Amino acid sequence: MKRAIRIGAGEALVLTANRLLDGLIVWRDAKGIWQRSIAHAAILSPEDYESALEAAIKSAQSDGVVGVYEVVVRPGLVAAPVSVRERIRAFGPTVHPQFATELDA
Amino acid sequence: MNAPVGLYQYQTADREFLASRIAEFEGQVQRRLSGELSEDEFKPLRLMNGLYLQLHAYMLRVAIPYGILDSRQMRKLAHISRHYDRDYGHFTTRQNIQFNWIKLEETPEILRQLADVDMHAIQTSGNCIRNVTCDQFAGAASDELMDPRVHAEILRQWSTLHPEFTFLPRKFKIAISGSPHDRVAARFHDIGILARPGENGPLFRIFVGGGLGRTPLVGHELFDSVPEADLLMTLEAALRVYNAYGRRDNIYKARIKILVQALGIDGYRKAVEHELSLMDPAHYRLAPETVAAIQARFAAPDLTAAPDAEARLKNDRQSDIAFDRWVRSNTHPHFAPGRIAVTVSIKPAGGIPGDATSDQLDRLADLADQFSFGELRITHLQNVVLAHVAQDRLLELWQALNDIGLGDANHELIGDIVACPGLDYCALANARSIPIAQKLSARFGDNALQEEIGKLRINISGCINACGHHHVGHIGLLGVDKRGEEFFQITLGGRDDALSRTGDILGAALPEDDMVDAIARIVDRYLSIRETGEQFLDTLTRLGDAPFKEAAYETV
Repeated sequence: MKRAIRIGAGEALVLTANRLLDGLIVWRDAKGIWQRSIAHAAILSPEDYESALEAAIKSAQSDGVVGVYEVVVRPGLVAAPVSVRERIRAFGPTVHPQFATELDA
Repeated sequence: MNAPVGLYQYQTADREFLASRIAEFEGQVQRRLSGELSEDEFKPLRLMNGLYLQLHAYMLRVAIPYGILDSRQMRKLAHISRHYDRDYGHFTTRQNIQFNWIKLEETPEILRQLADVDMHAIQTSGNCIRNVTCDQFAGAASDELMDPRVHAEILRQWSTLHPEFTFLPRKFKIAISGSPHDRVAARFHDIGILARPGENGPLFRIFVGGGLGRTPLVGHELFDSVPEADLLMTLEAALRVYNAYGRRDNIYKARIKILVQALGIDGYRKAVEHELSLMDPAHYRLAPETVAAIQARFAAPDLTAAPDAEARLKNDRQSDIAFDRWVRSNTHPHFAPGRIAVTVSIKPAGGIPGDATSDQLDRLADLADQFSFGELRITHLQNVVLAHVAQDRLLELWQALNDIGLGDANHELIGDIVACPGLDYCALANARSIPIAQKLSARFGDNALQEEIGKLRINISGCINACGHHHVGHIGLLGVDKRGEEFFQITLGGRDDALSRTGDILGAALPEDDMVDAIARIVDRYLSIRETGEQFLDTLTRLGDAPFKEAAYETV
C-alpha cells in the first residue's frame, strides 16, 4: 500500500536507505549512487520522485541497500529533513556527537 | 567441575548446538548477501538470531539468561564492543545487552566469539518465549524465600527452541522471583512467577496477562500454588491456550494480555485447566532428580566472611559520609553474615542510562573477580549487581567504582532513570528518551539531594511500545510525535512491585524543551507539600495528582 506523504510549501524529497553490509544510512545522489551524506542527495520534486523511488527499489539488491524510502526535506545548502526522526538519521544520534555523520562524507 | 559461580555450566551438547546454529546463520547471511534471500525472507531469520536493523545500523541484542553472567563473559562483551562496535554497550530493561553499530557481515564471527563463552543472541527477538528474567538478588538477598535461579535455568532449557512455541502470536516474556518483594515486575509480564518453599517442595504462584506497551495491564493470578512437578506442564498448558486462541490478525492485539482480557481470568483459567486435563502428567513431570541435576551445575560460593567484617563496615561508614550514603542507597542485605549485595549504578549524573564503555565493562569484570566470585548480574533497571561482597571490603569496592565513574549513590532515587534508546537509535521511537534522562540526572545529580528527595523512579519511553516501562514509573514520560516534533506525556503513580499499577496521565503532552523544567516543578512541589517520612508515592496517594498537575503546567 502506498504511503501518504505530506509535503508542505517549499519542501521537496530525497531518497534514503540502509546499506546491506553494515546497516549505515545512505542517500541517493543525482547519478543514482548511494552516498553517506545527505549533502549529496538528489533533491526531487513531488512530481518526479515516484519514478526515482521505483528505480531505486528495483536496483536495491545490486546496489547493496535495503529499505529504500523517501524523506521530506527543506532544500538548502544541505537538505534538512522535516521530521526529527529523519534529521537524526541524516546527522547522527544527538547523544553521541562523536558519531555525527560528516557532511562531506 | 570448575563451574563459574551463580550460573549454569554449559555441557558439550549446549556448545554443539550453538556451533550448528551459528553455522546455519552464517549460511543465511551469505545467501542474503548474494541476493538468494530477499530482505523480507531474511528479516525473520536474522531476528531469530538477535539482529535488528535499527535507525543507524544493525543492532545485536545478546541474551544474558536470567541476567547473570561471569567475568569472562563480561570481558567478552567488552571485547565485542571494542572491536566490533563503537566502544560501548547498552544494558536493557530485560537484563540483556545491545550493541548499536554492528555489521551484518561480521555478525557470524561475533556470535562465534559469544559462543566461546557460552553466550548467544537466541530468544532476544521474534515471537517466541524471550530470555527469562530473574530477581537480581537471587541467591543472595536476606528477604528471599527461595533461590529462583535453578528454575529460571529450567525455564531457559524448556523454552529454548521449543518447537510448539517458536511461532507464537507475539513475543512472550517470563520473569521469576523467589522473594516476597516482587523485584521482577512479575505482574507486568506475560507470565510472572513468584516461587516459595512449601512443605513438600517448591510452590509457584503464577500471574498471567500482564504487560506494558500500547495496552498496559496488570497480570492476574492464574494459580496460587503450582507444585514443582507440575510447573512445566502448567506453563505448557497456559502457552498452548494462548497459541491456539491468541489473535494473529492484529499485531496490536496479539499479546496474551488481550486474550486474558477477552476471556476474563476465570475463562482463561478454565481453558488452561481443560488443556491440563488432556495432558499426560507423567510426560511433563518435572522430576526432583532433574532439578537436582541442574542444581548441581551451579557452583556455590564460599560465603564465609571475616568475623569482624560487619564491624569494619560500620567503622568505614562512620569515617566517610559519601560512602555511608552510597551504602544506604546502593546495597541490599545479604543472607550470609558479613556479606552484602551491591547495586552498581550505571546512571552517572548526565550519563546515558545503561550505557557502559568497553573499559568499564572490563573493569566491572575485574571487580567481580576481586569482590564477588567473578559473578555479575544485570538488573531490569539497567544497573549491575555484585551480589556477594564482603562487608569489610565494601569501601575498597566503592573507591574502585568511583575510579571508573560508577560510584553514584542513586539506586532507586531520582537519578536512577530507566530509559529506552529512544529516537536516537530505535527505528520505532517517536521521541528521544536519552537526552531528557541525561538532563534530569544532571539537574538532580547531587547524591545528597537525591537522598533528600527519596525514592522516586523516573521511567522514559520513546514510544508507546514502552521499552522504558514508563507506565510503572513513579513519574513516567512517554514520547509522542506531533507533526514530526517531540512531545512527552507525563504519567504519575505507576509501580511494578506487589502493589503494581499503571500511572495516570497527568494532562496534555508537553514539548520536549519544557519537560525537564516540568519534572523539576513536580519534584519541587512534592518537596514543599510532603509530610515527614513520606516518599513521592505516599504524597501522591494522600493528595492526588492535582498539586502536581498544577505545578507541571504552571507556565504553559
